[in-house]
Amino acid sequence: GGSMGDHGADPSQFPRPGDDVPVPNSELSCDPRYLRLTVNALPANQALKQRFALPIGCMVRPLIPGEKVPTAQFGSTGIVRCRRCRTYVNPFVHFIDGGRRFRCNVCQLPNEVPVDYFCTLDANGTRRDIAERPELRHGTVEFIASQEYMVRPPMPPTYFFAFDVSANAVSSGFLAKAVNTVKETLDELPGGERTHVGFLTYDNAIHFYGLKPGSITPQMMVVAELDDPFCPAPEDLLVNLGDSRGAVNALLDMLPSAFAATSQVDSCMGPAVQAAYMAMNHIGGKLMMFQCTLPSLGQGRLLNRGDDHRNAGTDKEHLERAPADPFFKKMAAECSRQQICVDIFATASPYGDLASLSTLCRYTGGQLYHYPGFRPERDGLKLWNELRHNLTRFTAWEAVCRVRCSKGFRVSSFNGHFFVRSMDLLALPATNADAAHAVQIAHDEQLPTGSVSYLQCALLYTNADGERRIRVHTMAVPVVPDIAYMFRSIDGGAMSAFLTRLAVERALTARLQDAREFMQLKLSQSMREFRLLNTSAARAFNCLIFPDRMRLVPLFTLCAAKSAALRGQTRDVNVDERIHSIYEIMSAPTEAILRRLYPAMYALHVMPPEAGFPNQAGAIVMPPRTVLAGERVDARGAYLVDDGRHCLLWLGKMLDHGFLNAVFGAQGPPKPDVDFEPTLVEGIQLSKQVCGVIGEIRRRAANGCHCTLTVIRQGDPSEALLFPLLVEDRGAGGAGAMSYADFL
Amino acid sequence: PDWGALEAVDGVRLSWNVWPNSRMEAQKCVVPFGALVTPRKVLPEMPVVPYDPVRCKGCAACLNPYARVDFNAKLWICPFCYTRNHFPQHYASISETNLPAELFPTYTTIEYQLQRPAASPPAYMFVVDVCLIEEELGALKQSLTQALSLLPENASVGLITYGTHVHVHELGFDECPKSYVFRGSKEFTSQQIQDQLFRSTGGARPRPGQQQTNGAAVTGHQSKFLVPLADCEFQLTSVLEELSRDSFSALPDCRPARCTGTAVAVAATLLASSVSNTPARAMLFVGGPATDGGGQVVGKELETAMRSHKDIAKGAAPFMTKATKYYETVATQLCTNGHCLDVFACSLDQVGLAEMKVCAEKTGGMVVLAESFANTVFKTSFARMFTTEGEDALGVSSGGVFEVITSRDVKTAGCVGPCAALDKKTLPGAIADVPVGSGGTTAWKLCSLSNDTSLAVFFEPANRGDGKDGTQTAPQQQSQQFFLQFVTMCTVPSGETRLRVTTTTRRWTEGANVNDIAAGFDQEAGAALIARQLTWKMETEDEFDCPAATRWLDRSLIRLCQRFGDYRKDDPASFQLMPQFSIYPQFMFNLRRSQFVQVFNNSPDETAYYRMILWRENVLNSLVMIQPTLMAYSFNGPPEPVLLDVCSIAPDRILVLDAYFSVVIFHGQTIAQWRKANYQEQPEHEAFKQLLEAPKADAQEILGRRFPVPRLVDCDQHGSQARFLLAKLNPSATYNSAGMGGGSSDIIFTDDVSLQVFMEHLKRLAVAS
Ligand SMILES: [Zn+2]
Ligand SMILES: [Zn+2]
Repeated sequence: GGSMGDHGADPSQFPRPGDDVPVPNSELSCDPRYLRLTVNALPANQALKQRFALPIGCMVRPLIPGEKVPTAQFGSTGIVRCRRCRTYVNPFVHFIDGGRRFRCNVCQLPNEVPVDYFCTLDANGTRRDIAERPELRHGTVEFIASQEYMVRPPMPPTYFFAFDVSANAVSSGFLAKAVNTVKETLDELPGGERTHVGFLTYDNAIHFYGLKPGSITPQMMVVAELDDPFCPAPEDLLVNLGDSRGAVNALLDMLPSAFAATSQVDSCMGPAVQAAYMAMNHIGGKLMMFQCTLPSLGQGRLLNRGDDHRNAGTDKEHLERAPADPFFKKMAAECSRQQICVDIFATASPYGDLASLSTLCRYTGGQLYHYPGFRPERDGLKLWNELRHNLTRFTAWEAVCRVRCSKGFRVSSFNGHFFVRSMDLLALPATNADAAHAVQIAHDEQLPTGSVSYLQCALLYTNADGERRIRVHTMAVPVVPDIAYMFRSIDGGAMSAFLTRLAVERALTARLQDAREFMQLKLSQSMREFRLLNTSAARAFNCLIFPDRMRLVPLFTLCAAKSAALRGQTRDVNVDERIHSIYEIMSAPTEAILRRLYPAMYALHVMPPEAGFPNQAGAIVMPPRTVLAGERVDARGAYLVDDGRHCLLWLGKMLDHGFLNAVFGAQGPPKPDVDFEPTLVEGIQLSKQVCGVIGEIRRRAANGCHCTLTVIRQGDPSEALLFPLLVEDRGAGGAGAMSYADFL
Repeated sequence: PDWGALEAVDGVRLSWNVWPNSRMEAQKCVVPFGALVTPRKVLPEMPVVPYDPVRCKGCAACLNPYARVDFNAKLWICPFCYTRNHFPQHYASISETNLPAELFPTYTTIEYQLQRPAASPPAYMFVVDVCLIEEELGALKQSLTQALSLLPENASVGLITYGTHVHVHELGFDECPKSYVFRGSKEFTSQQIQDQLFRSTGGARPRPGQQQTNGAAVTGHQSKFLVPLADCEFQLTSVLEELSRDSFSALPDCRPARCTGTAVAVAATLLASSVSNTPARAMLFVGGPATDGGGQVVGKELETAMRSHKDIAKGAAPFMTKATKYYETVATQLCTNGHCLDVFACSLDQVGLAEMKVCAEKTGGMVVLAESFANTVFKTSFARMFTTEGEDALGVSSGGVFEVITSRDVKTAGCVGPCAALDKKTLPGAIADVPVGSGGTTAWKLCSLSNDTSLAVFFEPANRGDGKDGTQTAPQQQSQQFFLQFVTMCTVPSGETRLRVTTTTRRWTEGANVNDIAAGFDQEAGAALIARQLTWKMETEDEFDCPAATRWLDRSLIRLCQRFGDYRKDDPASFQLMPQFSIYPQFMFNLRRSQFVQVFNNSPDETAYYRMILWRENVLNSLVMIQPTLMAYSFNGPPEPVLLDVCSIAPDRILVLDAYFSVVIFHGQTIAQWRKANYQEQPEHEAFKQLLEAPKADAQEILGRRFPVPRLVDCDQHGSQARFLLAKLNPSATYNSAGMGGGSSDIIFTDDVSLQVFMEHLKRLAVAS
């Protein structure tokens, strides 16, 4: 804990995060979970923006889990858009001339209303058909796209699996687990009769599998020409799942045993990606790579540079976090062009050069999964859940996303995982509700006119049924000339997440220290401005003065600096782990980033009786959260720490045996290398509560991640896992890091 | 003398059986001095002894009945080099009454069963074209499946399929059908092929130069591709069953992508790295031209035609040189490892046999050219490859080395046959300066040979005494004789290693003694040898085209007639040829017109094929190829041979033409009408029925003993198929001579001169001063 009194402030009264729930800014605007601004007001001019210092940006999440979006139908004239700026018709357009024309809310151009979209207006100037026009009533709406939005017939849901079958993959049990998961998930793949699948395996050669429709035998074809891989057959490599189900089943049954005796240590991942690309580029789809070792053959072969810290602290420090070979980026660009999204499930440990591999996911909108040193008992359930989630979740295929702003503003930069095409079009070969992007908003050459500005995000995609759809989110934002208004409008959660995303991105091209300082600089510049504004108040109380809406930002930036992505020096965090962390943050939505930065800690030994049970609304009641500081941890207690991806259950030395029995039963707590799954013991209240809480944590886990639960005991070496999570402590961020109190 | 009877004892036939004793005189004989040797000819009288031969320390000749033996001193004097050799220890009990078999005067041919472990059966690598149409592929699959039932269980087998790409099937993989795929359009070095095959299987690579001396020692990863039939029969059968046409379809107006050359190279390398120096056959099944990769012979576009002889002559066969070179490299690799390539080319189109023939020729591989895999020519021939017992058995031996040892006054000029020259130059002066055929050596490798494989060996008589080195002189009675010894070692189908030694002797005579020399002329052997010499020249000498070859033949014949004819200068009517030469001009007449010389009526593939078969057959079969036989069947009496002439055609006759590659049953007009009316089915016409059946039975008999199985043509006079007969007949009645009355015969529309005209020209030229 930090020393008290220096600032005359009581740490227990410091602001701490609860559950972060944003509120909509207008009835007609879209839900802020789709478009979430760091400040719910845009500066009227460049100078104001300069003074404000903090970034003005938007977290963009075109899809969110479990949503229901109204669908809009248009007649034969097609989707109504502004003919100048291409804005989609939305609740903020203004119908004029008795309904014959509408004024674009974004560029002010009056547009003719197409004949079959015409409707007369009522006395208030509202269209009389407003009730049947979801696109005029909701900030979020989906249009069924017409022919002009298709360059080819909509693609079927397509999954191509490429398994590393080198010795590591086999002996670790990863291959068997991954293959079994795929096998047991086949029936739940979206797309029904349209779904396509393909498979290849690779070690020191590429193995294709011909899956002839109607056949029950796969045909294995080995291509050892790694310098110039090619498709050994023109068809049957990517097949309709229903038609070739027999061969697919036989293949998945056979795969683990076929390589059971392998002694092959090489793995030609690069050529395998090329091969998969060739097999699927006529359709596109999701390429799932299961990689268990450092790619060692063919293009994209990588050397172990994980232990090389010579550049630490220098201006070359970031090179270890940059791809070692341009191959992966080049390949990613090609995949993106052919609507291929690459997900990688990587297990190499201690080093698999994720810095290089992740490039494939990054530019194709894919996901990077990391199970270092995969062990079935620890990581099996995680892999199972995460892979299943990936395969069964709602997926938007061959998607592109664009964010438009009203006159005076423009989207100036992007942060996230996609390929930026033609200036501002985000290419997302396959995307889903777990991914979020961030865009920065800058002033245009012209000054904004009017007091309201609009943001519109459109996602054009193909759904599993082969429908081409456009998801449109529109939001109104006030444009203000007053910095105080700006400060009042800050969304602390979004701002923290946004700053963190910018900082971790910076860590890919700069020193870690630079990345951390970047955040603090922004923060202190902004503070100075705020203080100038409130000098009298500051003098009066001699204490911390924050804009109310921003009070959590310092804590989150402190946590960000202590996160695996940014903390310490190069050697303080395994570089793969750091890359994975950066990678996850770079594609995560706001609440997931915040949870990750400031985990939730619950004291399980002193739960209120209702905790772990559903409330009247059906939501599970969580126990109260505890401050993430070592001084608050009691040796008589049991604490559950959840960062949205991983849970720790810490057991104090003096914990009551009754608790141990209730939660772990006779066999006692499991070892720390096991993913703990509590078993419900009927009739024992505590067991029910713990199961309820853990179940809820897992259900809420961010981005389709499975929360592994590691049980650690006070005094055991594994307790070290906890310290980085106690972010308020001085020790949590590596040498020289500050405690929360110091920081403030 | 009956030269055929001599052949029956030793399997050797010489063109000249009495040799002039000077080089200059020898050159006047025109017809080359040579021997047609059938080293695995079945000789019922031949002894087989269970020990290794005793060899001369001077020239390595094997001990033979012509050696002079000093029983007291336990010495023998080599008849070839006159070296005195001590008998080895275990011959100590030798005496006049206790002779080892090899010294028996009648055992001029003897076979040693060498003391070696029995070899395993050869490995078979099937190399299968999948660019065939469905029916063809079906027929081929059927034959392959049948072949598996004929192979011994312990024979190793492998499968390569090719089309756009080459698939090497890993038959040792149980989980599912598995193949290694090579890009068809690429040329691979042997090293690259090995690297792809053996890197991928996860084991250690074979070390370069590592040899497996024991045939059974096919172990480790290599056995994945070559697996004992017993262990992979199920896998292989199901792969064959499932085998479908190349899944890449041809582009519009294009031939399919067929990478035959790449497939052959992969097969050769796979065999080389898996079963080096143990017998193995790559069996290529090809149904069209190679259009991609190494060995490409034609472009894919259908509008570009396959090269013809005219294109080749004009230099307008753009792929030819490169492809030929490519296959030479593969052939060298096959030879080095003692493996062979069999080619089963079944296609209406050419497949590029002319380019790839070197692989079969140098390795002794079998070649069968047919129009379809459903055709009997292919089906029966292929099945016979696997027959090991009975009359049908080809007796396919492997790993052969054929050596020639000669008296010192005889130099070896070369060999024409299905073999590859080894670099053997043991004795100084044993090799002629000017090679005939594959020369520069006295030993040749026969990676594969059958009981019928016949080699043409050419000699050059030296001036007497040329070969002497002065240290040893020939005993008087032996100096009148010269000796030839043919030593053939190989692994026979039973797995035993046999070494056959044939020692033969002939007599020298004074060069001026023309009658003496003529008496020793074997005109059949002479014709067969000159046919090989001629075709060798046509194959290897660019300038030696069809007109040049014809001129060369004509000039040789005239010179021969001048030398061995009796005439008055400038009086053609007085010309009389010695009886030993009586039918030789007719052979030459037919050779001139044959498919071996007249290439333009045939495709380069056909020419290549005909010549390859000519180069492996014995004297009699060669003659059938040069000059077909014609038998007539009628009510007038038993079948009789008739002139190979249009005048032999008669309405009430059935003719059977044996042109070696085809057998034609030709029904005269009347017979044909009767047959059409089904008289043969009426009881009162039993005789007619028999008349119809006799030629059929005889034709079947020919088909049954020949490899490759000839094509059988059943045709009627004036029918379209009749051309197969007419093309072979002497055009005694052509439209040129029709005015003079051609009798009742058909008229052949041809510009060829008839035999009669040819003979008249010959006489006139021979007597011209
Ligand atoms: Zn507009
Ligand atoms: Zn000798």
